[in-house]
Amino acid sequence: MKGGLIVRAAVFAALVALSMPGIAQERTGSKTGFTLQPGTARIVLMRPTIRVGAQSTGGMPEPNADWTRQARENLTRALRAAQERLGNQVIEYDEGASGEGQIATEYGQLFGAVADSVIEYQFFVGNRLPTKKRKDSFEWTLGRGIGELRSLTGADYALFININDEYGSTGRKVLQLVALMGGVAVTSGVHVGHAGLVDLKTGELVWLNADAAMGGDVRTAEGAEKRVAQLLEGFPGRPSEKTIGGQ
Amino acid sequence: MRWSGIVSACCAALTLTPPSFASAPSALPPYTPAYEPTTVDERGMWMEADERERLLRDSPLRIREGGLERYVREVLCREVGDDRCKGVRVYVMEIPAFNASMMANGCMEVWSGLLLRARSEAELAAVLGHEFGHFELRHTLMGFKAKRSATDVMAWVDVLGGITNRDMSSANVSLVGSLYRFNRAQETEADLLGFKYMAASGYPAKAASEVWQQRMAEDDATALGRGLKPRRNYTSGFFDTHPTDLKRAEYLAKAAAALPADGDARVEQYRAAIAPYLSRMLAAQIKMNDFGGTDFILNSLASSGGWSGELLFARAELYRTRGNPRDLQMASLWYRDAKAAGYVAPELDRNLGLALLRNGQTEDARKSLGAYLVARPEAPDAKMIQALLAK
Repeated sequence: MKGGLIVRAAVFAALVALSMPGIAQERTGSKTGFTLQPGTARIVLMRPTIRVGAQSTGGMPEPNADWTRQARENLTRALRAAQERLGNQVIEYDEGASGEGQIATEYGQLFGAVADSVIEYQFFVGNRLPTKKRKDSFEWTLGRGIGELRSLTGADYALFININDEYGSTGRKVLQLVALMGGVAVTSGVHVGHAGLVDLKTGELVWLNADAAMGGDVRTAEGAEKRVAQLLEGFPGRPSEKTIGGQ
Repeated sequence: MRWSGIVSACCAALTLTPPSFASAPSALPPYTPAYEPTTVDERGMWMEADERERLLRDSPLRIREGGLERYVREVLCREVGDDRCKGVRVYVMEIPAFNASMMANGCMEVWSGLLLRARSEAELAAVLGHEFGHFELRHTLMGFKAKRSATDVMAWVDVLGGITNRDMSSANVSLVGSLYRFNRAQETEADLLGFKYMAASGYPAKAASEVWQQRMAEDDATALGRGLKPRRNYTSGFFDTHPTDLKRAEYLAKAAAALPADGDARVEQYRAAIAPYLSRMLAAQIKMNDFGGTDFILNSLASSGGWSGELLFARAELYRTRGNPRDLQMASLWYRDAKAAGYVAPELDRNLGLALLRNGQTEDARKSLGAYLVARPEAPDAKMIQALLAK
């Protein structure tokens, strides 16, 4: 009883993937005037959604468990290093004995939905909602409830990260090359990521970065550093300090 | 042109030799305790399944209370045997549609709509056994590979067609067709393996085909309820992922006829296990806007256990929702019958009152609504009901 729709969608997605143009839009936004707490900010890294794989000749994602595991490790390490340079502390989320794993997952999903809305209705300029048209306005929230989680006690911010990488397979690259010779455009590879920071006192989304064409090979330590630098572009630093994105 | 000659030769070769869908996975069956997938593709499938299972585990839709998941798992174990079911996790989701699925990593998802429709443990077991068959035969992995091969060829066909400016749609259509045929073949394979479990489980083997007969009857009822002509598909269409219900009922009945017709369907045990959840499942089904199908389900439930207060209330709700004057008339009757049969929730008084009010029986309506307010003065809709009474 598997969904026929899914099969159908996969087939057509593969066809569409051959001819999809890139869409230009804004990539980062933060709440006006927001700066990190003075002193050391304690940032909880919620379990990142990471999916790394290959892209088949026909454009289908081919999940790769080893690459995904490497990416998870590399990104967490690079992220911690980047934040420590800023004087912040990054702790991985642990539900401990709170029994809040379920609600934490729900907040992860909620963040995904809110982030998608920001991308759709604010970053994409031509599609802005009337309430999001004012200059310098960035008002999005997950609700105050997230600050009340016992498993987040003592933390100032929650950091959510989603990453989807599909590296073009050899077959895809050959297809791309042959197509190019014949004047047909075929894209190879998908490298999408977004990261968002939520203030745990108010539940507000204070910063979001979303990029549909990211660099850095997350399967290697160096690549992951580059990726984290891109992911943290526009990350609110302390007033006197530079943001990590400039590195 | 030289190009086009080469290309058409390539395309002909590609379409004449359909992508090979068969391949040899590891020797161990995937239900082996602590099984670890080995190939890149299978490891990838398991990783995706693990991620999806985390979401299922934490989903607000999951029915966690009262050991329902444990019960469904026991039915699966009785069907496929303890050796096979040892590592399986079952998640029951509150979704009022007929479905169950099993992921590559041995995680089973069962929707409440299936539990509402199954009439015995044997029928539930037939569906679970079929899904387990998909898992045992590694159908997620095989399907993934088939899809990849087909879309790979399609991409080449598209690009070469684009370069040479030739219409490649017929080549693509035949590839898509091969993919759907492959999917239907997998379903039949899982049906037949599921049937083998059924035959060995102690459940009556004919239950497997009865599931599909019941599905067809419900589909007909849905169509009639929507004022459409019931349609029976005798053969699968081009885009069908599954064989038709009729085909499945046929070959499963044929297989069952070859076996001795004994076995215990465990109807009573099933009914007792589902009873605590029946009200919420029925409430969800009524919201599906499927008058014919829902009435069919209610009648089917009543035909085995009689019209209980719960079923009468649900039927009254269904008719009140459609809301023709004749429906409201019948709904009022059934609300009263449900009360007489021992259905005690005060919401009955409210809904009876609303049905009566809409049909102009104001005095009786005020009595019922008043009774609701006395029983539930703090109800979230108490003020609304008071406003109705104040008129």
